Amino acid sequence: MIKRKNLFSAANIAWLFVIVLAIMLPFTVSGYMVRVLSTTMITYMCVLSLYVLFGMCGQSSFVQCGLWGVGAYITALLTTRLGAPPLLAMLGSMVGTALFAFLIGLVLFRLKRYYFAFSTIGLMMVLNGLFQNWKEGTGGALGISDIPPFGVGPFQISSGQGNYYLILFFAACATLLIWALYRSSLGRSFMAIRDNETAANCMGVNSLISKDIAFGISGALCGVAGALFSFLSGYISSTSFTLPTSQLYLVIIMLGGTASPGGALIGSFIITLLPEWFRPLKDYMQLIYGLGIMGLMIVLPEGLVGGGKDLYDKFRRKRRPTGKKSFEA
Amino acid sequence: MINSEGNAGQPAKKVLKLDKVCKRFGGVVAANDISIELFPGEVLGLIGPNGAGKSTIINLITGVYQVNDGKIFIEGKDITKAPAHTRAREGITRTFQHPHLLQRSDIATNIFLGMDLARKKDNKMQTGEYKELLDRLLQVSGLDDLDFDDGIGRLSYGEQKLLETVRAILSRPKVLLLDEPAAGLNQRELEKIKALVRIALDMDAAVLFIEHRMDLVMSICHRITVLNFGNLIAEGTPAEIQENPVVIEAYLGRKRGA
Repeated sequence: MIKRKNLFSAANIAWLFVIVLAIMLPFTVSGYMVRVLSTTMITYMCVLSLYVLFGMCGQSSFVQCGLWGVGAYITALLTTRLGAPPLLAMLGSMVGTALFAFLIGLVLFRLKRYYFAFSTIGLMMVLNGLFQNWKEGTGGALGISDIPPFGVGPFQISSGQGNYYLILFFAACATLLIWALYRSSLGRSFMAIRDNETAANCMGVNSLISKDIAFGISGALCGVAGALFSFLSGYISSTSFTLPTSQLYLVIIMLGGTASPGGALIGSFIITLLPEWFRPLKDYMQLIYGLGIMGLMIVLPEGLVGGGKDLYDKFRRKRRPTGKKSFEA
Repeated sequence: MINSEGNAGQPAKKVLKLDKVCKRFGGVVAANDISIELFPGEVLGLIGPNGAGKSTIINLITGVYQVNDGKIFIEGKDITKAPAHTRAREGITRTFQHPHLLQRSDIATNIFLGMDLARKKDNKMQTGEYKELLDRLLQVSGLDDLDFDDGIGRLSYGEQKLLETVRAILSRPKVLLLDEPAAGLNQRELEKIKALVRIALDMDAAVLFIEHRMDLVMSICHRITVLNFGNLIAEGTPAEIQENPVVIEAYLGRKRGA
């Protein structure tokens, strides 16, 4: 029978390293940096949602930031207007955003290939318009303030470090779930659609429903990320949920690589931390950043993780040639 | 060119029936009043010159194309209007002329996709049964010593075609449609394709076999249907087809001075 990777593969060791690093970091960096890292992990969850939709299912989307906003507003409204407990509000964000994405997807996925991507640009603009102008619902341009921090029962999470670990916990859970999805038959149906939709249909995959489920799952991830953002910042407004941010998510996943969640993680950290580290470069940063992305796309079209994996494979094979291929030509 | 005189043509229950199927692309008639019946445990060869409409027939059966006229039944059930994924779940599995594998996934994922389809049809089946079938298929196809975490890109063209056939049989099809499984394969790989088809027959699948290599067609098929320009021009056993003057003319052209 088929043997899968063992537990101590290079990828798993890398993940273990990341987790240990993530747990240790808040003790070594400034409070400001902890906050930057927290928002980076929220970004990572949004990019992870794009990994499901784009990386696994092959459907590029420009609406992930809008879905993130839907999640943030649901939590903000549930906690401030109805006084819902934070955990319930977060659950509401997850289910609500997933349902929203699923229902919209039923319509949008009638469009094939890049027409779906175009339609999500429209959806993103509609959502942003709604956040900005629907005074009764979203508070209009003023946004919603005084969102209570996360807490369960008597435990309130108000410190920067507390929020960091809260977000880390959910980011880790999301990663594990997506990893399980990758190994599941649902995940395989996504990947079959990505590689050839007709062939996927011929293998019994209902592509309309599968794509829509992928969109729904990505909505659930964005919903949780949005709820976490609401708790972290205590204030949300339409300026956070824009088309350029959605585009940035696509850049991040292209940079990191679409082949694994690791790409989303590495991409998120590079794109959000580089500007922090190279702040002295000021305006030149944009130029270097743009050129850097263009260069990477040429040198490593599969992204950093994809390119790294190729290198690793080459090294591994050189060291331990399999010599199993017995077919001629 | 030996024809394996199996239990072909026995009046078993037919599994697939095409009833006067027509397909037109604009003015071109790719399939004109084609009626085909397939029985469990037999191999029906579908031959004809390039552009005869062979692949069109497979595309019509699998639902990649919709018919303009006529009806398609599987085990008596009308699936003429059913979408491709429903037909796959009814037991129709195909391979493609050029292998359509998950190019960006590893080998294991590709194989599991076939198992997923089998589970969609019959979720009572135990993992052990798949394991047994998979082991046999991999051994017969010579793919059993691959590293299953490898990407598809590391396989040769022949290995990819074998893998696609393995995946198709693993889904336990009632009807297996093979679109030129041997094109681009060497002699050793060809023997493996034959062995794989035999496993499918053991499982009582009906196999529709499109192929250009006549030695293979004659040795493996129980019956043969010949298409030309979208028309069905001949049907019969391999021996009959070899003698059929209409077929000879379609394939080789009119004899000089005849």
